Amino acid sequence: MGSTLRLYLTCIRNTLHAAMCLQNFPCQEVERHNKPEVELKSSPELLLNPVVICRNEAEKCLIETSINSLRISLKVKQADELENILTKKFLRFLSMRAEAFQVLRRKPVQGYDISFLITNYHCEEMQKQKLIDFIVQFMEDIDKEISELKMSVNTRGRLVATEFLKQFI
Amino acid sequence: MAVISVHQFAQCITCHAWSPDRSMVAFCPNNNEVHIYRLVEDKWEKVHVLQKHDQLISGIDWSARSNKIVTASHDRNSYVWNLEGSEWVPTLVILRLNRAALCVQWSPKENKFAVGSGAKTVCICYYEQENNWWVSKLIRKRHDSSVTSVSWHPDNNLLATTSTDGKCRVFSTFIKGVDAKNDNKKDSKKSTSSDLKFGELIVQLDLSSSWTFGVKWSPSGNTLAYVGHNSMIYFVDDVGPSPLAQNVVFRDLPLRDVLFVSEKRVIGVGFDCNPMVFAADERGVWGFVRYLAERKTVSSGSRYGSQFSEAFGKFYGQSKPGVGNDAVETSKTRGVVHENCINSIIRLGERGILTRRFSTSGLDGRIVVWDLENEQDLLEL
Repeated sequence: MGSTLRLYLTCIRNTLHAAMCLQNFPCQEVERHNKPEVELKSSPELLLNPVVICRNEAEKCLIETSINSLRISLKVKQADELENILTKKFLRFLSMRAEAFQVLRRKPVQGYDISFLITNYHCEEMQKQKLIDFIVQFMEDIDKEISELKMSVNTRGRLVATEFLKQFI
Repeated sequence: MAVISVHQFAQCITCHAWSPDRSMVAFCPNNNEVHIYRLVEDKWEKVHVLQKHDQLISGIDWSARSNKIVTASHDRNSYVWNLEGSEWVPTLVILRLNRAALCVQWSPKENKFAVGSGAKTVCICYYEQENNWWVSKLIRKRHDSSVTSVSWHPDNNLLATTSTDGKCRVFSTFIKGVDAKNDNKKDSKKSTSSDLKFGELIVQLDLSSSWTFGVKWSPSGNTLAYVGHNSMIYFVDDVGPSPLAQNVVFRDLPLRDVLFVSEKRVIGVGFDCNPMVFAADERGVWGFVRYLAERKTVSSGSRYGSQFSEAFGKFYGQSKPGVGNDAVETSKTRGVVHENCINSIIRLGERGILTRRFSTSGLDGRIVVWDLENEQDLLEL
């Protein structure tokens, strides 16, 4: 399983390296405005083809690029109901604090669990390689965190149940 | 190495231009001002700040003979600045644009300048003596999307433009009263210049499947070069009714701008942070030669990753090491000089057949001066 993770992450890293070629571009539709074209989608010539990278049926990554912005949406592996709830709560917790992360989007794109929006301003302030490293590290850590959360929920559940049922012995 | 000097001027530079004697440089530090620095005994000192625009300045050009600076900005305005005494005084330019101006360039004779805009138009501006302002004539309804780059042919009449619709177009910009008719003296090779109607589309090149940037004419005006966002560079010879086009695909990230250093050598700069040299061989076939600066592997310790992990750590009471191993292995090699995308390349010195020196500026806020003196393989014409 570990080997497919490496391949998946390498593929995403290479795609991001190519996709994160952003430049400042003022809005063509509204004067004096500067909007992320990938969100606006008003001028089709400014958008590039979206790419979906699937690890398996449950995990995939959608990368949409435009001339001044890039949107990365992730679908995280959720094997059972418990992981479903944990993922939803955990990612909602992070998305609510999107300002702290700067590149995080407040709401995930339809059909995905979490989304990032990277604009040319982020590329000007931060280094491209470090942004890509951040995204890839995030993906690795998410899986670990969800597993740990699940384990701690199960452990706690077992402890509580044991304690509770002791009174009936 | 070909680098003469590197200087960090600001956090990020959008565009720059040099004074005619190369003692001063004007650039926009990613805001609505133009900063002019002068080289005083090996140190750069800020001598002027030009504040008139409301938004980001996307293009600056400094004319070589008349010593005027033209600036174009995202606020739909453009100004021509004249040095009067020790102050730069702006002159109004009536652009009649309703979207941002994206690029600007003086014509070779410096009696006109061209502005490309997000309004899908190109404005050709000339000076009106009676009212002391610059008025413009617009080339409308020819472009399907924003005009990203403009370049004048040495004959002061033809203008090449690139746009985000993927096409490169060449127009005639003859303006009665500004351009004198000189047909008799022109030879038949340049017969395209005698299409004397303003805004006439001479040729439209649809070679790229993606956005096009950075168009430039060769010193003789015979060849045109421009780049596409699909990591290709296009060379067009004999621009006219039957042009001869060549594509060169290269392996790495797309380019943003190009410069002809001679009739057969082109330097391209872009997202790779390293200038690329393209050359034409004896048969006229263009190809990629090499990168100009040395490429070194830089380990990108994921500093950003560790911040996030620390945040995680706070919530879970663990501290995680930030650096991921794969980050070091697969970091792309980078030229040492620029650390972020290079977005413009300007020749230093007179417009001639051969250019030895040029400067590049990028999103890392550096202006780097390069010299081809020691690059023997590139100096042969």
